[in-house]
Amino acid sequence: MSLTNPPSGATGGPGSVSAGARNQTLKRSVQAAFEDPADRGIGPVGYQSKVRVIDKYKVVGFISSGTYGRVYKALGRQGQTGEFAIKKFKPDKEGEQVSYTGISQSAIREMALCSELSHPNVIKLIEIILEDKCIFMVFEYAEHDLLQIIHHHTQQPRHPIPPTTIKSIMFQLLNGCQYLHTNWVLHRDLKPANIMVTSSGEVKIGDLGLARLFHKPIHSLYGGDKVVVTIWYRAPELLLGSRHYTPAIDMWAVGCIFAELLSLRPIFKGEEAKMDSKKTVPFQRNQMQKIVDIMGLPTKERWELITSTWEYSQIATLQPPLSQPASHHQQHHHYQSQSQGRQSAAAGSQLEKWYYTTINQATSAGGTPSLLSLGPEGYKLLAGLLDYDPEKRLTAAQALQHPFFTTGDKVTANCFEGLKMEYPHRRVSQDDNDIRTSSLPGTKRSGLPDDSIIRPGKRLKEG
Amino acid sequence: MAASYWDSTQRRHWQFTKEELASMRQKLEDEDPGLVLMFPLPELRHLNIYFNQQINRLGKRLGARQQAMATAQVYLKRFYSKMEIRRTNPYLVLTTAFYLACKMEECPQHIRLVSQEARSLWPADFQTDAVIRMGECEFFLISEMNSQLIIHQPYRTLTSLQADFNLLPEEVALAWSVINDHYMTDIPLLHPPHTVALTAVLLALVLRPTNVPGQASPAGGATPAAASQGIAAATQALAQAQARQAMAGGNGGANAGAGGSAGPGSRPGTPGMPYPISGTQGANGMLSKKVPDARVGKVQRFAAWLAESTIDIEAMVDCTQELISFYQCHEEYNDKHTKEQLNRFVKARGL
Repeated sequence: MSLTNPPSGATGGPGSVSAGARNQTLKRSVQAAFEDPADRGIGPVGYQSKVRVIDKYKVVGFISSGTYGRVYKALGRQGQTGEFAIKKFKPDKEGEQVSYTGISQSAIREMALCSELSHPNVIKLIEIILEDKCIFMVFEYAEHDLLQIIHHHTQQPRHPIPPTTIKSIMFQLLNGCQYLHTNWVLHRDLKPANIMVTSSGEVKIGDLGLARLFHKPIHSLYGGDKVVVTIWYRAPELLLGSRHYTPAIDMWAVGCIFAELLSLRPIFKGEEAKMDSKKTVPFQRNQMQKIVDIMGLPTKERWELITSTWEYSQIATLQPPLSQPASHHQQHHHYQSQSQGRQSAAAGSQLEKWYYTTINQATSAGGTPSLLSLGPEGYKLLAGLLDYDPEKRLTAAQALQHPFFTTGDKVTANCFEGLKMEYPHRRVSQDDNDIRTSSLPGTKRSGLPDDSIIRPGKRLKEG
Repeated sequence: MAASYWDSTQRRHWQFTKEELASMRQKLEDEDPGLVLMFPLPELRHLNIYFNQQINRLGKRLGARQQAMATAQVYLKRFYSKMEIRRTNPYLVLTTAFYLACKMEECPQHIRLVSQEARSLWPADFQTDAVIRMGECEFFLISEMNSQLIIHQPYRTLTSLQADFNLLPEEVALAWSVINDHYMTDIPLLHPPHTVALTAVLLALVLRPTNVPGQASPAGGATPAAASQGIAAATQALAQAQARQAMAGGNGGANAGAGGSAGPGSRPGTPGMPYPISGTQGANGMLSKKVPDARVGKVQRFAAWLAESTIDIEAMVDCTQELISFYQCHEEYNDKHTKEQLNRFVKARGL
């Protein structure tokens, strides 16, 4: 079968074959994605892989797909222990015969970075096999991911993720971030779907497809890829086209993930504005408004350099938070947060209210452990991660030192420790039309090709 | 990893001893002795000079950065340490290495554009299917390098040392060009980038007086006499530093532990550098202001800094010798001859 056809396309009408027979066909077709006779024997005798994927791994099913290609679950054929996730990059060209076209820069980055990285909280690369014009990246397999875990808790009766699990996940996630950031790697696409969890409760940051080094880049970081991070997790400085492009963008995403672990919903669930025909990046008004609804309007007091962001003028067009009681808070930018007693520069921020409402509601569900034990430190950590000002936002190292992790419940190395239940296993399908991979913003890349959008440069003094 | 040379694949997998390198190369030749006999080649450094020139031609036409051209040369070196050159078309390999390096160094070039330029530079080697052949060659390169594509270069260390040693712009420029030159030797496969950077600084300090300020390559600039004077001065400085380092070690190695983290360079931006303890910096800084002959002062100060450091001076001695020997070997380089010998097997074997 053709390389570009989804494996499921090999079957006839789904209704026409018995389930068993269909399954057989599909099983073969998944395997067929790895043995593509169509693209062998073209051109002069040339590159041959020393290792063949199908000789070494037995593909047992399909996990997910994205703009880059597909991920399959596999077992070792040569006595390798454990399970594997094999990411197959599809060659650039769709249709016709596949030929070498040069590997995309993002694939090159992911291959190079994953080959160097080694940390318990970053998904481990086993090997890379270059075969038949395809790239196969073999990773350790993780049974769960945060999207899946969150989804499980939304099932009736909706029940909160246990606070000890949340705490452990956050600690491990921050630990992985700290490792990436001290190694000058920006992940740039942190979201629940990209945070893996193994069956022994270890959190692993996955999918470094958008990651890159930020150490003294030759071109400034905003020169290349303009659009990074799935919109719901995109930091305000990115939404405003800021040139201050730092590890803080990952920390915002971590804050969003924290909030989502608490409430089981994306905290800032905006709608992505699509690019116009001139390929200019539109201002993401809807997403920014969602942030303002909870965080209040960003002001110079809260974020000193906001005036130098590209879309600064747009701020004036945003609505202040709806739930804001009267105009009282708006006029007092330095109002004292009563329950915390600390100065909240958050002009009209509703985050504290959001936090306590969330953890109180979660409690009333009954039967499951209360989120109240996360206490006021949970709010402080959240607020620190969701600081508008990227320079004031907590770094991974600072967040790890946060009292949240030293007060209340102890941080466990296994995020499932003490749980009576077991999370459902990853759906490994023989079918490509998996509902989880449909193009919801939360589950898929923003859909924009890497390095493709150019915005006219706005000169600014280098920070 | 990316920040730390010490954890990098470069240190773990791509740093060899001279003996290891020699035996790897011997093994490649032994695979097909007939081929080696039939197509004799100039010495490796002369080939490297030629490749360096070709990559520079290509890079200049495409406006590429030095860093990418440097990385391309390291890729080439790694590849040819695992693949017999006579089985490849070096023009294709160097073009592809350049294309890959540009992506890795964040200054990507489109494969079509690179292939077009390559075609106009070497029409005989890029007639048909240039893009497909480059794409395939990219698989070869990545596979032979085990996807280990992040290269730690001495330029970064040099930039961070600039302030520590009060280097003048022309000294930095000279050290920079020494680093450019070291890609034509085996040094990138033998020594860590900070060793190279420090050697380059030392050579820049001792060679400078013989050069017109701002002049580029010592390879072109320094006379043999000046070079030998230079090496004498460099060797002397290193020997001095080594002796003092040994003494300090005998005294209980008070600095040894502090090396990794405490120094002035422990700020982010100087990855993987073992730094000497701070404190000496300030003292030396004051000293150099008092010494009237700033240049002599600088060499002394540099030697003193080395002595206080945990840097492998032996390795610096070796780097110095490799570089000086390269400059001598550069005198004998014959462009036409090198080109002919390369083209002979490419043409004869239809590569």
